[in-house]
Amino acid sequence: MIAATDIVSSYGRKRILKGVSFAALRGECVGILGANGCGKSTLLAILAGVLKPQGGTVLYGGQTAWGSSAGRTERKAAPDGRAGQGRGGMRCDRELIRRMTGYVPQENPLMPELTVYDNLRLWYPDRRTLDAELAQGFLSLLGIGAFCRMRADKLSGGMKKRVSIGIAMAGSPPILLLDEPSAALDLVCKADIRTYLQAYLERGGTVVITTHEESELALCDRLYVMKDGVLRQVDSRLRGEELVKLF
Amino acid sequence: MGYRIRYLAAELKKTVRGFPLMLLSAAALMLFIGGAAFGAARRMEREPLAVSVDIGIVVRGDERTTRMALGYVESMESVAGLCRFVQVSEEDGRRMLAEGDLAVLVVLPEALVEGIMDGRNPSVDIIFPKNARLEAMLFRELAVSGAGLLRVAQAQIYGADDMALQYGLEDELSVMEAEIDAYNLAFALDRLAMYDDETISATGRLSVAQYYAASGIVLFLLLSGMAAYPVMQPESAACRRQLVRAGVGVVWRNFCRWLCGFFYLLCLVSAVYLLLRVLCLCAPQMAARLRDILMGGGRRGEAGIRLGMFLLVLAAAASFHCMIYSVSKSRTGVILLIFLLSTVMVYLSGGFVPAVFLPTAVRSAGAILPTSWLIRACGGLFAGHGAGMGRCAALLCLYAAAFGVSACGLEHVRNRRGQ
Repeated sequence: MIAATDIVSSYGRKRILKGVSFAALRGECVGILGANGCGKSTLLAILAGVLKPQGGTVLYGGQTAWGSSAGRTERKAAPDGRAGQGRGGMRCDRELIRRMTGYVPQENPLMPELTVYDNLRLWYPDRRTLDAELAQGFLSLLGIGAFCRMRADKLSGGMKKRVSIGIAMAGSPPILLLDEPSAALDLVCKADIRTYLQAYLERGGTVVITTHEESELALCDRLYVMKDGVLRQVDSRLRGEELVKLF
Repeated sequence: MGYRIRYLAAELKKTVRGFPLMLLSAAALMLFIGGAAFGAARRMEREPLAVSVDIGIVVRGDERTTRMALGYVESMESVAGLCRFVQVSEEDGRRMLAEGDLAVLVVLPEALVEGIMDGRNPSVDIIFPKNARLEAMLFRELAVSGAGLLRVAQAQIYGADDMALQYGLEDELSVMEAEIDAYNLAFALDRLAMYDDETISATGRLSVAQYYAASGIVLFLLLSGMAAYPVMQPESAACRRQLVRAGVGVVWRNFCRWLCGFFYLLCLVSAVYLLLRVLCLCAPQMAARLRDILMGGGRRGEAGIRLGMFLLVLAAAASFHCMIYSVSKSRTGVILLIFLLSTVMVYLSGGFVPAVFLPTAVRSAGAILPTSWLIRACGGLFAGHGAGMGRCAALLCLYAAAFGVSACGLEHVRNRRGQ
């Protein structure tokens, strides 16, 4: 489902990712661990199409999302523009990335002045689809219906995270990219998100998750540790001190 | 419906929902500006508008004839309307001059009148203060040109005398002197000009009330951007990333923000207009007076042109707000920037003190600022748009576009820095 090969990314002169490669199959959960600032979020942002890599390829379902032979030329710099400096030969198929992936960044992407419903409405193609999702789809599983008329700036951290996942699920993408989804959440909320991810995986979805939470590691079929810009697969049964030693 | 249209709809919804709060903030701002304007107007009313120059006169010796001549000059209508002679001792006069109580000090010598009559022509000392005010500067110019004229007249008369003596034409001398006098007097003062009615105003073809109403509107529109935070604030970095994923780029986002800002200003102005209409219904006499003051000199009609120009003003102001909100991330920063830039630009453009009273360098700088053209366009609402309307409209479009491009550029730079 996902095949990333030799991904290279820099911030200024600092090399963040030095040829990262990994793969994830359908219905599989891949966990990426590492110390703060090691490049986990950069990797996820590249997979989500919001950062431009300097090299490498990313394939979704066998189609090139990032690479020198992707469907559409990446004419504009990526929003953060960091990777756009230096080499400009990378091509991006935004439509493919948008169709195939849902992205949950660390911060919530909500507009605080609008209600949850209006925020979701921005990302869902029509009202009917959104209402159906709220009634019996993934959004109902996240429990968003209970607070969908509340203003976004009145929500708790856990509610915001649920809505963020709900936004990422617009269009029912087969791949979900989550950047530390449980950071700063209470235990109940963490458990709910875990249950939700479990359900998503059971329905055949693919998850790439960066996390420090041991409970979320239990969901992962494969674990990778990122250190000095290099991604290394480790035994998925490792926990606690044994894992920390690898950082 | 595509992401772009849905984004625009979300932004408009934000504007509509945030409008009551923004309207309240703008009302508080208007009260503040209105209070300041009212205070300034009251102060202007208290101060006499006509220039009255206090001139200190020192008469050396107890000269009865000099005092009589002085009384005669002082009682002349043309002099009394402009000057007030204050007879002082030389010591007091110099002190009052230094303190700014006198515009100029004239020291008349002993036997002035006799000296004029017997041809000795004793000199009169005219002392100006070191830091001359406007009246003193005017007086100095008049004195210098008057002295120059006298010198020429005297040279002509002495020349005529010498020539008449040399060629034995003493009998013709009185005729020659009369002609020279007539020529110089005609040159010095066109008596009919005293009865001409010509208004020269620092506010151009606008009345003072119209001018300050126009600059007040511009200042209010620019400052009301401070209340537009819910509409104009840029999205969080996470939201921006999601929008970029969905193909909603910097240009479209800024266009939507500009459109919402424009919509907000339009609603704001409409609300103020409605409020004024209601007040006018309640107090028709006051309304008639207000209409007379503001629209008195204006041409009727041109409603379409006035509306068009005003919409351009709103567009340029919204574009200015867009740019400022792209510069600063924090609300405090935005408020400070809008306040400082707006007040400084309006000042430089002559919004507080008409530009003709400002130093040349400031006037030159003010002329190229957008606020100058905004004030001009708003002035046209009251007095009608003159021949320069096309240029004014083109420049407003240009400024709006420049602000918009700057906003996009600034946000692009911020995105590159990952902010």
